[in-house]
Amino acid sequence: MEDLSQHLLDLSFNSLAAGCTDLQICIREDLKSNILEFIVRDNGHGIDQEDIEKVLDPFFTTKENARVGLGISLLKEAVERCGGIFKIDSLPRIGTCVQAGFPRDHMDRAPLGDMTGTIISLITAGGDMEMVYHHEFNRKQFYFSTEELKLSLEGISIQTTAVLVWLEEYLSKEIKALRRGKDEKFGRAG
Amino acid sequence: MKSLAELDKLRDKLQQEMKARQGEHDVSIAVSMGTCGIAAGAREVVKVLLNELREQGLSDVALTQTSCVGLCRQEPLLEVKMGDEKVIYVNVDQEKAKEIVKRHLVKGEIITEWTVS
Repeated sequence: MEDLSQHLLDLSFNSLAAGCTDLQICIREDLKSNILEFIVRDNGHGIDQEDIEKVLDPFFTTKENARVGLGISLLKEAVERCGGIFKIDSLPRIGTCVQAGFPRDHMDRAPLGDMTGTIISLITAGGDMEMVYHHEFNRKQFYFSTEELKLSLEGISIQTTAVLVWLEEYLSKEIKALRRGKDEKFGRAG
Repeated sequence: MKSLAELDKLRDKLQQEMKARQGEHDVSIAVSMGTCGIAAGAREVVKVLLNELREQGLSDVALTQTSCVGLCRQEPLLEVKMGDEKVIYVNVDQEKAKEIVKRHLVKGEIITEWTVS
C-alpha cells in the first residue's frame, strides 16, 4: 500500500464484504495539533470477540477462499511505523469501527493519497450502500453523502458512467480546495 | 468547473437518454479489489476505465468490482463479460485498460496475449 487512501479503500471493502449498508469515513487533519486521523465505521455483521485480536495477524482470515488476511495488519504496521495509534472495535450484528491516528509531520507517514479514487471505486462496488464522507482540514469541512446525491439524481443510477465522471471531478475539486493552502501559514513566516 | 448546478443539467440529460434506451446491461467489466488488487493499483485502473468508457460513449457498460480471486500475483485483474462470454485480463495497468476498452469493448476483439486461460 502506497498511501492511506488505499488503506481506507481496503477497510471499506471489508465493510462491504461484511454486508454493510451504511458506511462512514471521517478524516481529520490538523496542522496545529500535528494530527491526521481517520475512522471507518460500518453497520456490517461485525467481528466476534474471539476473533478481534486475531484480525491483526496477517495469516488470519475468515474468508473461505483465502488463506491470508493482510489488510488490517498492513494498516497497523503503517500506523506503528510512525508511532501513531490504531484501534479496532466491533460488536457482532452491530458493526465495526476502525480508527487510525498519525503524527502528521512524521517522515514515515504515508501521504493521504487519492481519496476521490477511493470513493469512486467504492460506489462502483456497492451501489446500494450509503456512504458518508466527512473530511476536516484545519477546521474547514467537506461533507459528501451518497444518499443526498441519489436524491438529487431523481432515479438515475449513481453508477451511471456520466454521473461517476461528474462525481470524480466534483470530489477532486472540493477535496483539493479543502486542503489547499495547507502550508500558507508556515510559508509566509517572515 | 464541476458544480452541483451542473449535476442538475446532467441528470436531465440522462433522463432523456434513459427514455430512449431500455434494457439491462449485457456488457460488464469487473475490477478485482482485494487487498492485493488495491495494492497493485486496481483503483487507478477503475478511474481510467471510467474515463475511457465515457470517451468511447459506452454508457451502457456496467463497471463493477470483485474481490480477490486467488491470482494475487497477477493483479490488477479485470474481468470482461459480454453475454455468456467471460474473459479475464491479468497484470492490467492504465495503458492496457484503455486498450481493452478500445479493442475488446468497442471492436469486440479479445487481446489474447493479456488474458489468462
